[in-house]
Amino acid sequence: MKDSFESTKHFVLRLPDLAKDFFHYSLIGYIIEAKSLTNALIYTKYWAFIWGRVFKLLLKLLFKQGPMGIFRVLRQYPWMFQLLGVTRLLRRITYGRKGAYLESTALVIHVIAVLLVEKLEEVFYQPDRLLINEDLVPPEIAMAMGLNVWLVEGMGILLPFLNSEACLDFIDEAENAGMNPDSCSFVKSAVGMVIKNQQPKGVAIVSSNMPCDAGMTSYSYIQKQLDVPIYRVDVPYNFHNKRAEKLFVEDLKGMIAFLEENTPGRMDWARLKDICEKRNRMMELELELWDMMRVSPAPLASEAIWLSHLFLFHWFPGNKVSIRLYERMVELAQKNLAGKIPAVENEKYRAVLWNPPFPQFPDIFNKVERAHGITLIMDSMSYNRHDLIDTSTPETMLTGLSKIIMDGPMVRHTRGPAENYLDDIFRCYKQFDLDMVWIANHVGCKGGQAMNGILREKCREMKIPLLILNYDLLDPRIVSHEGMLSQVDDFMENVMKNKSPLAMAH
Amino acid sequence: MNRFQNLLESPQNELVEQAVFDGRIPIGYSCSFVPEAFLMADKLFPVRLNAPGVAGTEIADIYLSNFICTYARSLLEFAVDDRFDLIQGWVFVPSCAHMQRLYDNLEHLKKPAFSHVLDVPRKVTKATLEWQAEELRILADKLSTHFGVDMSDNSLMKAITEWNHFAEVIQSIGEMRKNTTPTITGTEFHALLMASLVSPKDLIFPKILDFRKALEQRDSVGSFRSRLMVMGSHLHDPEFIRVIESQGGLVVADLFCTGAIPGFKPVKMNGNPIKSLAEHSFKKTLCPRMMENFDRRLQTIIDTVKEYKVDGVVIEIIKFCDLWGVDSMTMVSALRKEGIPVLKLEREYSIGGEGQLQTRVQAFIESMGK
Repeated sequence: MKDSFESTKHFVLRLPDLAKDFFHYSLIGYIIEAKSLTNALIYTKYWAFIWGRVFKLLLKLLFKQGPMGIFRVLRQYPWMFQLLGVTRLLRRITYGRKGAYLESTALVIHVIAVLLVEKLEEVFYQPDRLLINEDLVPPEIAMAMGLNVWLVEGMGILLPFLNSEACLDFIDEAENAGMNPDSCSFVKSAVGMVIKNQQPKGVAIVSSNMPCDAGMTSYSYIQKQLDVPIYRVDVPYNFHNKRAEKLFVEDLKGMIAFLEENTPGRMDWARLKDICEKRNRMMELELELWDMMRVSPAPLASEAIWLSHLFLFHWFPGNKVSIRLYERMVELAQKNLAGKIPAVENEKYRAVLWNPPFPQFPDIFNKVERAHGITLIMDSMSYNRHDLIDTSTPETMLTGLSKIIMDGPMVRHTRGPAENYLDDIFRCYKQFDLDMVWIANHVGCKGGQAMNGILREKCREMKIPLLILNYDLLDPRIVSHEGMLSQVDDFMENVMKNKSPLAMAH
Repeated sequence: MNRFQNLLESPQNELVEQAVFDGRIPIGYSCSFVPEAFLMADKLFPVRLNAPGVAGTEIADIYLSNFICTYARSLLEFAVDDRFDLIQGWVFVPSCAHMQRLYDNLEHLKKPAFSHVLDVPRKVTKATLEWQAEELRILADKLSTHFGVDMSDNSLMKAITEWNHFAEVIQSIGEMRKNTTPTITGTEFHALLMASLVSPKDLIFPKILDFRKALEQRDSVGSFRSRLMVMGSHLHDPEFIRVIESQGGLVVADLFCTGAIPGFKPVKMNGNPIKSLAEHSFKKTLCPRMMENFDRRLQTIIDTVKEYKVDGVVIEIIKFCDLWGVDSMTMVSALRKEGIPVLKLEREYSIGGEGQLQTRVQAFIESMGK
């Protein structure tokens, strides 16, 4: 009784702060703070589009499955409540941005909302065609077979964007089940969701040996829990040769045979050709965007580059919405370029981020832009280097896809000799005329941690400023946001000799 | 028994020195997917890389970080410290991220005159068997070119025959542990096995035969409260087994890279030595790096428990090993489902925290009602 009284009192006392916070992140809050009508209109447009999508999802669910259906869905996937924080994310990452740059950021969030709704509808209405896919196995083949692809790790990445603590329960659940606490929180989160029965079951699983030992090994557990058949593709260590390509193409054929045997999916080569061609189109547009990003100051930056690639190339390649997004991104970049308008007004430093970005603290880029003029130009997850897929025959398509998989981000960086990891950083540094390299030093990524020593020495030799930013991918308890910002401030003051009056960590 | 313990005091023992003095070529390796027999051709001999008595890994920590397993860090520390100066070639396997990065850092800090990565696939199919055979062929050519050694089929056949003979003897000693009153302790067996992995086989073989003869004269090793099986990551120091046995748990079976199960089954010859070795390397190793062998590993453990009359299983994991760390979650629950008591222990590469280990083992044995 005393406890309830205390917590009610505590809640009441916090009400003014909560109201202030709610107001700050609301549309009205934005409009009041916005300094231009154009920006307010851009923001309002995407705010309305996003909520429109959310309501469409709920109404369709209500119409198709009734109120009990909604209740069942929310009970099975309680993380869906987190999705209601989407416009709060929009506010966080667009803070202080203007014009085309504001639109590019808002557009990415909008497109994610659109495609996620599409994906959730597949989960709700077509469970018999749902394939559980590991995040680094590209979905093109399964899509061509008429299967819907659900990435086990997808929510582990997306939910912390909305709420930095969204995955903590899943992480704890996996550790309580016996998973080593030092393993990657991304893997723990996926396993925790499976244990809590908050992942769709699907009809089969496709996993791989990518990108790390923890991820690969976790699929024994996931498969036993979901109790559906599994196929595992195996990328060789030395993959830059014809022999590896041949082996991997055979592996992909084995995967197709497995899917035909264990799912209702049937290979449709014409459909694969269509998907690959559309994927090629996405890539052409992305390359066009990259070309413009080489200009200093950059016409767009940050989420427009990394978040769009992370989400669309991994989960929605060849999707018409993905293509439309890239077309619009190119238009926005061209507009800024023509008007000589920099994305970041005070662009002082151009940075590349190596290793996966910070899902539990995505607004860090926005903060460092404003505080130090650091502009994120490129990241390792987006920095692909491969040819377009040759769609002339099934064999050439499989070869093209196999190269994309093997040369994909994290895959090529976690195997082969050290040069695969290091040379890409230096190549990127040169290509985009950068001023600094950031390493997202995720505590659970052992392969990456073990490269820091060599990288540090190479960067010293080449006089490249290097920030190794310690953090945990999904768990802010390991390094707090304050701690992360303070690492940036210290780096700027001590290495870049540029102490900013707007230093972030106070 | 001291004769084997003594051979484990240095990463390059007196037998290695003797062989090098005789003009032979030691090749270091760190993963069981490298077939030992393959490295026994002509003048070559395999040495399992170990770092006995490693006191600290200060330099390795700078490069590999504190989050990499202490086995990899210890090897790098010893390499930087010139403790492997007799080793003339290194053969790695991308067994895990830690080993891959050990190779990368070694190449950066102290590039060996000969090093090679044997690209062992992570699943077994007809195509990957062919791949593995081709990998061995590539390595054979490279060894032959670099060291001028004979890696022909005949030379490899001879090496396989020699290894098979050796493995049969090791296996026969290992099987003595199936008896209700074994004549060898787990500590003794592990010391023998480790010594055989870090020494030239032909030089240590007479000592092993002598030891087997002595075992045949023994009655038993005395009474123990329970019979245990140890499985998990690399285990080099027999001291770990001794601590377990000091609490009354006789270790009668071992399933780890440097254990006898299933590693010492003879190579089945199929007329093509390279192919035989490729097949053998997949059969003789049960590591969670292989994506599809969980059920095989589980079944092997269950069979071993029955065959060796094991009361409980101890899973030992080197801290930061993701393969065993994640896999053990599935394995522990699968074994418990089978009614097999399990104790999961995290440890460092070199033995430490003896008191804690004793307490955990003691409690485990008591929990089994022994």
